[in-house]
Amino acid sequence: MGFFETTLSSFVALIPVTLAQSFILSFVVLGIMIPFRMLSFPDLTSEGAFPLGGCVCGVMLAAGASPLTAIAVALMAGFAAGCCTAFIHLRFRIHSLLAGILIMTMLYSVNLRIMGRSNLSVFGNATVFDWVPGLQAGFPASKIVVAGLISLLVLVLLYLYFKTEKGTAVRAVGSNPDMAEAQGINVWAATIGGIGLAGAFSAGGGALMVQSQGFADVNMGLGILINGLAALMIGEALTGKQTVLRQLAAPFVGAIVYYQLVSLCLAAGMPPPDLKLATGLFVLTMLALPSLKLSRGPAAAKESFRE
Amino acid sequence: MLEIQSARKVFYKGQADEKVALDGLNMSLKTGEFGVVIGSNGAGKSSMLNAISGSLVLDTGKILINGDDVTPMPVHKRAARLARVFQDPMRGTAASMTVAENMLLADLRAKKRTLRPGLNAARLAAYKERLSVLGLGLENRLNTKVELLSGGQRQSLSLIMAVGGSPELLLLDEHTAALDPRTADIVMQATIRTVEALKLTTLMVTHNMQHAVDFGDRVVMLDAGKVRLEIAGDEKTNVTVTDLIGHFSVKTDRMLLAS
Repeated sequence: MGFFETTLSSFVALIPVTLAQSFILSFVVLGIMIPFRMLSFPDLTSEGAFPLGGCVCGVMLAAGASPLTAIAVALMAGFAAGCCTAFIHLRFRIHSLLAGILIMTMLYSVNLRIMGRSNLSVFGNATVFDWVPGLQAGFPASKIVVAGLISLLVLVLLYLYFKTEKGTAVRAVGSNPDMAEAQGINVWAATIGGIGLAGAFSAGGGALMVQSQGFADVNMGLGILINGLAALMIGEALTGKQTVLRQLAAPFVGAIVYYQLVSLCLAAGMPPPDLKLATGLFVLTMLALPSLKLSRGPAAAKESFRE
Repeated sequence: MLEIQSARKVFYKGQADEKVALDGLNMSLKTGEFGVVIGSNGAGKSSMLNAISGSLVLDTGKILINGDDVTPMPVHKRAARLARVFQDPMRGTAASMTVAENMLLADLRAKKRTLRPGLNAARLAAYKERLSVLGLGLENRLNTKVELLSGGQRQSLSLIMAVGGSPELLLLDEHTAALDPRTADIVMQATIRTVEALKLTTLMVTHNMQHAVDFGDRVVMLDAGKVRLEIAGDEKTNVTVTDLIGHFSVKTDRMLLAS
């Protein structure tokens, strides 16, 4: 068999596993998109909230909690982490990126404290993926069904929410905080709630990941933010972001396409250690593209920095 | 209706560039009255508006609206009572949202926001009607994002948003200053029409002496954070641009003598 046939066959064999993984990680991408796009609040909390959700879920499962309870507690922990980042930014006027780095760094210690060690196996514990009737537990099909259904449900609920009176107000805070305030909207409450929600999604992704892979690890979030950003950019390139629905669908579409691309690269023989470099270069290219297109020298580059 | 009692605000207190923005300012506005505020740059006009809307916290003094002390209230709480049109058309609207969504946000300014769908047929029809008053065709662009509108259209939209729901107090912060003369005129005419039709209590800051002469029941001239001059009643009816500019130069002479 030639190179292409080998690559293709191993890529095709990986599709179901990758699809399951991308549905789970689409929640992290959602947790990155909401601060960046809905609230204009560049945020890095997800890099810490993802392993936080994983660690909390792992400890809960090991303690005998039901898979759903474990996820619920992980969501609450992620929500609290997001709220902290937003509060630090609002109260002490620390740049949101720095606030996110502070929380992310502190969460590393918190995660270690929660688990008491750097990794924890929960293999053999019940998971939400066991509940699909007619499918053998633990196989990609059940993960695809469960994670896919949750993704769809979250997408629909978020779309409905952002079209309500409250949801419209939250979007206004992201669009123009001065105007939002002048229209009687509590900018603090909307920002803290919104970033908290994003943290909860990231942590939820971590919790599902732990149930899917059977172990929790404090290092499981390493580089997740750049992966998520890459996925978000691919998603936005495909769905656009002109309407609320398109913007909300971007993380899901992006996660699916991004992880298939990664799988294709690996199938083609790319050494896994190079993956982060490749992803970083990809994100850089996507960020640089607008200024290259409008190339009028350094001035154009300065414009796009705002992204 | 509106009462400002010995409002004082000092920026950079205790530093070399200390600046007294409001120096024991006293001012009041009766219900239904249209006040026009003039004054040179740095006289305290913007500080006064910011103090009323809540984005500037006073060092000492009080702000009362309809007898209620609003001094400790944050901006978003005061928004239930007052509406403001900013000088910069970009500041008063949410650019990445549609015309209808902006109208909705203004519509809910004094109301409790619920989890019901925001835009419905009844609301869209009402917004369409309110926008048609302008005659700018905005009523047919409800689903257009505001960032695609011109400065004049955005400012007109801000005005319609502000006067909707008849706020207790309308603040106009040089709201035609950033527009070309023709558009400024359209926005100003629309302002006067709606203020008169809805009998809104209005406070307008302007650098345009002609506007100060033509509109309003009372002219207040600020200087160094205090009221320097008030013209009302018959005197206001008969005042000319030359008179007003005369007062500016008197003030300037005094400043020269003082220095």
